[in-house]
Amino acid sequence: MAYDYQAVHVLDGTIGAVPGQRANHLAVHRATAIAVVLAAPGHGAEAAGILVADGAFEARFCGPGEWLVLSEVHAPETLVAELAIRLGAFAFVVDQSHGRVALTLSGPDAARILANGIAVDLHPEAFAVGRAATMLCNHLSVNLARTGIDRFDLVVMRSFAEALVADLKVMARSHDLSVDFATR
Amino acid sequence: MASLISCPHCGVRPKEEFSIRGDATPVRPAPMASDEAWNDYVHVRANPRGRIREHWQHVAGCRRWLVVERDNFTHEVFSVTDAAAARGGAR
Repeated sequence: MAYDYQAVHVLDGTIGAVPGQRANHLAVHRATAIAVVLAAPGHGAEAAGILVADGAFEARFCGPGEWLVLSEVHAPETLVAELAIRLGAFAFVVDQSHGRVALTLSGPDAARILANGIAVDLHPEAFAVGRAATMLCNHLSVNLARTGIDRFDLVVMRSFAEALVADLKVMARSHDLSVDFATR
Repeated sequence: MASLISCPHCGVRPKEEFSIRGDATPVRPAPMASDEAWNDYVHVRANPRGRIREHWQHVAGCRRWLVVERDNFTHEVFSVTDAAAARGGAR
């Protein structure tokens, strides 16, 4: 029997898009290659070195010896294999491309909007560009990465994506925010 | 204030990110230790006022178990260490 599989994004039909490109924009990425890398005991430094050295990977800290690795270069289907080849016995790799959803919040009020739900100091001196950490946004655990002064990436578990987008809309109520899928 | 915990991995975080398991001072007895020793370890807890050591897990952050030394009267936090590091573990 033949099955016709369709790739449907978890937020398809439920995103409640606020169209246009306003001052602040929340972009939901349709297909992001995401994997979790956990360093083998005692090999944290080696694994980190390999991840940092390869420009195709974007490693985001989520715990000691643990990173969320995103990639614009590799496809969701191949990221785990690419990582496993390079990391060898230094780390364990698990695919999260379908388990997590990546969003990008950008605009002059991005940090202010996030501050309405996140109790971590997001001043550029306290949370510099390039830093990432897992933190609580209202009731959801979110991996937040600062990719620019006014630009943040959020990675959330797939089943919480709808709640997070709804939360972000509420957090941005007094700011000008548009919400839509990213076009790439 | 105890409402802000400095996670050794993630930095200063609100207490809402953590889950508290309880006293970190009891030492697990040997498997064949007496019933009294096991009863003490599993059930008997002091309820002191002042400086205490507790196991906290950073569930919404790095998910690591931490040992938080704090004062339950003044809410002052003295130290936060990784539970594995406190035991001399890896990482």
